[in-house]
Amino acid sequence: MSLLRVRGLTKEFGDLVAVDDVDFDVADGEFVSILGPSGSGKSTVLRMVAGFEEPTEGEIALDDVEIVGSPPFERDVNMVFQDLALFPHLTVAENIGYGLKQSGVPADERRERTERMLEMVRLEGYGDRTPTELSGGEQQRVALARALVNEPALVLFDEPLSSLDRKLRQHMQSELQRIQVETETTFLYVTHDQEVALAVSDRLVVLDDGEIQQVGTVEELYEEPASRFVADFIGDVNAVEGRVTAVDDGTIGLDVDGGEVSIPRDAAVEDLAVDDAVDVCIRPFQVRVEPTDVDDSAGDALVAGEFSTTGVVRSRSYQGSDSQYGIETDRWGRLSAEVRSAAFDVDDRVTVAWDAADVHVYRRDGEEPADDRDGGS
Amino acid sequence: MAESPRSDDERVSPSGDGETVAGTDREVATDGGTASGVDGRVSDLTTFLRERPRLRTLSIAGPPYGILLFFFAIPLLAMLVVSFQADRIGGAWTLRNYTGFLTSETYLTVVWRTFLISVQVTAIVAGVGYGLAYSIVRFSRRTTLLLLLVILPFWTSYIIRMYAWINILQSDGVLDSTLNLAGLPALSLLYTDTAVLIGFTYVWLPLAVLPFYASLTNLDGDLIEASKDLGAGPIRTFLSVTLPMTINGVITGIVLVFIPTFGSFITPRLLGGTNNIMIGMVIENQFKSAFNWPFGAAIGIVISVVVVVLLVLATRLGGGLFGAGGETS
Repeated sequence: MSLLRVRGLTKEFGDLVAVDDVDFDVADGEFVSILGPSGSGKSTVLRMVAGFEEPTEGEIALDDVEIVGSPPFERDVNMVFQDLALFPHLTVAENIGYGLKQSGVPADERRERTERMLEMVRLEGYGDRTPTELSGGEQQRVALARALVNEPALVLFDEPLSSLDRKLRQHMQSELQRIQVETETTFLYVTHDQEVALAVSDRLVVLDDGEIQQVGTVEELYEEPASRFVADFIGDVNAVEGRVTAVDDGTIGLDVDGGEVSIPRDAAVEDLAVDDAVDVCIRPFQVRVEPTDVDDSAGDALVAGEFSTTGVVRSRSYQGSDSQYGIETDRWGRLSAEVRSAAFDVDDRVTVAWDAADVHVYRRDGEEPADDRDGGS
Repeated sequence: MAESPRSDDERVSPSGDGETVAGTDREVATDGGTASGVDGRVSDLTTFLRERPRLRTLSIAGPPYGILLFFFAIPLLAMLVVSFQADRIGGAWTLRNYTGFLTSETYLTVVWRTFLISVQVTAIVAGVGYGLAYSIVRFSRRTTLLLLLVILPFWTSYIIRMYAWINILQSDGVLDSTLNLAGLPALSLLYTDTAVLIGFTYVWLPLAVLPFYASLTNLDGDLIEASKDLGAGPIRTFLSVTLPMTINGVITGIVLVFIPTFGSFITPRLLGGTNNIMIGMVIENQFKSAFNWPFGAAIGIVISVVVVVLLVLATRLGGGLFGAGGETS
């Protein structure tokens, strides 16, 4: 059963469509992230769920009850704000107890629940301090406790971790996961930081330009990105420009950087027609690099479900356990490859290979289909 | 390059010598060797003062403190001295001015009346002003224009504005004729307490709106949202977040209104008529009609003390730090 159900959610600010016909669900106990670049409308979605913005159109149901139109203070939802919005004139304990006080919880119970929350976020004994006396990470914990103490059906996060340094952020991520499991609360987390989103979420909603690009688990988004945007946004990707030269039952012929290649039909995520401009995408970690003496790229075809080409290493950088190589290939332009081996040097000649099954082809952003076969629907 | 400083020296002939001598001594001046005469002199002065921090502090802070001392502290001291003299300046030393004032039921009634009116005016101005400032901050895009409109009345003389209110409030004035046209009975508000309240509210409103506005703009809108998110409705949010977060501005505004109202004599005299005496009018009377300056001075001192005590209490209440002058109008 879905706890939060969003259908056809649209928000217009004047002529600007900030959120465009968005549908998604959040199941009870799930950790869902809305991931998108700044200006993608993700915060607006969150603010509509919280009740700070009224949708232009669409439905938001919490526990099967429509909540559009009800004010924020009547929604069983609490938010952790981007700048945390801790009350500077109240102590830590008063901040955490604020929501309980509003709902008329007696002082004794309030104190007890606040204490328990302070324990949960590992801030025992901090109750009498003021927020300004705490470090950034401690303030995050207070903000989290202030939302959780009310035992809301859903906790919303508006990129609260973005102000922390990397190490603290990673620590807070695992803390978030621990607390989510312990409290059995449902989290809806908004961020532009794919690292955070991939690390913490059960499922992701990828938003761009107000529209949903894809909804799925981390693995689904990474391995089967539904659009070039998702491929680019979740992890790194090599994108080679090409043009469709032929489409038949099993394969698509492509003109890539001057060379002709053919790829399996199911590599194309969308329907393609001859003359469509496309991006051929392959993840750097799926590219294999081997030493070679071969001088030309005659073997640049699809052999046994695998592409291979030759090229010259142009750059390399060590990234801990992996090395990243920039390789100028003979047929596929410049590719980046992430491999275990640190054996190659700049100017080495290498063979580059990858499985055809790992290739994804997308029509180029902003370009219309070559014919209007989609016009009918 | 070599010629330009020389020609500068020739232009600023009399002080030029001293300047060049100083200039060769100091690094700053040699660095800026191509500087014009005026710039060179300024940099010399800066260097001179940098090496004498005490003189520098004095030259910056001296003039304002001098003005305060000369036009405020000394007159106040003179007033204090005079208030202990009998009947006239230079009269025999006495406490009679104080005892006479503090034991007179008539005068104390006037003080109490003044206090009540000041409290009413302050309450009205604070309420209206806060609402006005709040709406300017939260609901308006034309903030600058609206603030300009708020302070616009200051461009006209206080007295002229009071006479305008006489015109509006008097029998058969603008207000009554308008009511007449609408078929409503005339109010004849002039020379009543209501008229005094209206006049004060109008005059002091900008004084309160500005500090209210300043503190409200500094209020983080996210705090309001956080409060609502945590289940507090608009009224609870106002009382537990908005008001506490802006309390310093509120107290500043209240002090700025309360103090001048307490000492005011023009507005009550012009709009309030003879039955609506305030203590400021009594003081004015002692100086201008009764010519009993010592007695007027004594009342002034008492009122100042009362106002200072109230000011301290107000500051304590808000727990804020601000320096509002205890000036009476």
